Amino acid sequence: MSAGLSPGSHPGDETLLRYAAGTLPSGPRLVVQVHLSGCPACRSAVAGFEAVGGALLEAETPAATAPDALSRALSRLDTPALPPRGEAGPAVVRPRGLPDGLVLPPGVALPAPLGSRRMGPMIAIAPGVRVGMVRLDEDPDAQVLLLRIGPGRAIPSHTHSGTEFTQIICGRYGDDFGHYGPGDLVEADGDVDHTPRVEGTEDCICLVAFDGRIRFRGLLGVVTRPFL
Amino acid sequence: MSAPSPAAGSETGRDLSALIVAIAQRSDREAFALLFRHFAPRVKSFLVRSGIATNAAEELAQETLLTVWRKASYFDPTRAAASTWIFTIARNLSIDLKRRERYGDTTPSNGREEDVDEMSGETVLMMAERETRVRAALAKLSEEQATIVRLSFFQEKPHAQIAQELGIPLGTAKSRVRLALSRLRALLEDLK
Repeated sequence: MSAGLSPGSHPGDETLLRYAAGTLPSGPRLVVQVHLSGCPACRSAVAGFEAVGGALLEAETPAATAPDALSRALSRLDTPALPPRGEAGPAVVRPRGLPDGLVLPPGVALPAPLGSRRMGPMIAIAPGVRVGMVRLDEDPDAQVLLLRIGPGRAIPSHTHSGTEFTQIICGRYGDDFGHYGPGDLVEADGDVDHTPRVEGTEDCICLVAFDGRIRFRGLLGVVTRPFL
Repeated sequence: MSAPSPAAGSETGRDLSALIVAIAQRSDREAFALLFRHFAPRVKSFLVRSGIATNAAEELAQETLLTVWRKASYFDPTRAAASTWIFTIARNLSIDLKRRERYGDTTPSNGREEDVDEMSGETVLMMAERETRVRAALAKLSEEQATIVRLSFFQEKPHAQIAQELGIPLGTAKSRVRLALSRLRALLEDLK
């Protein structure tokens, strides 16, 4: 995995390319957006892959368009094709505030890409473990979770069929594969059975999404089932 | 419009960028017509290749170019080539289309406008000149790696398609994708 020269854990090249190509599902897309908001190296990689998209577009064999395509486009130039902003959903990004039960340590802000998202309350599901659902208006089926886990606690046991994307907002955790801190994005394949555990003395708050379905065992499974 | 129809591919990136700037500065309909003739057919075939039905691709190509018209003032020719900017617009519109196909028209297209704005700002940091170098990087890939990059761009689930197209097992396809993309990224980053 080439992450340039920047230390830490970053999205894989394939993830960044799928982000640039627009083929990453909306849940992982949001998690990657949060990572990009704090990682210039990955932003630059995405820009590079977007330029590859531009080159591929430029190299396309032109397809035949409808005979009236241009005249139709010209006739539409003065009619706004987008619905007025008020009808198209939130035009201005309105910070919605922190969900109930989410406490950020001093100096830690909610990442900008989460600012306009609807977030459910952080529900305690085990000692030291709280989980909240992040709803994506544009993709109600997306599975995105905000987790807040106390020092020494393990992230609830779960299985997933696809890749799991975890972006650490604050705090640290580790598993058999490594140790991760704020700003890191960790990708874990579904066939990996890992039990990450929070390290250090502070809560770890992270955003998790899945490319595929997830199933938690135990209480978290009950809590998240209606949403998943 | 009576603008002469240019031979396909006759415009350089610089000319294409100038057309967008002309739209931004003086709502130049002739510039729009030239841009449309160049890009609409390419956007359409690009979208068809990425799995969108022909009719929907025709409509989305229209929408893409109309968005270029409306958003021209956001285009910064020092940051991105015309083709890259238009690619990101087409990409965002096709993400929206796939959402609408899944949930119906009622789903708010949250993020559409923001995506375009964000893209013209921070995400695209490359100078237009670097675009030609991107082409050079693509040319340095082996034929197989270039195929992998193309399929990775156009396919939702590229591994299976790559395995089939190259006649290799799925596991092998995965590792070749990793190698090809890491080579591509290394080539792109060398160009800084």
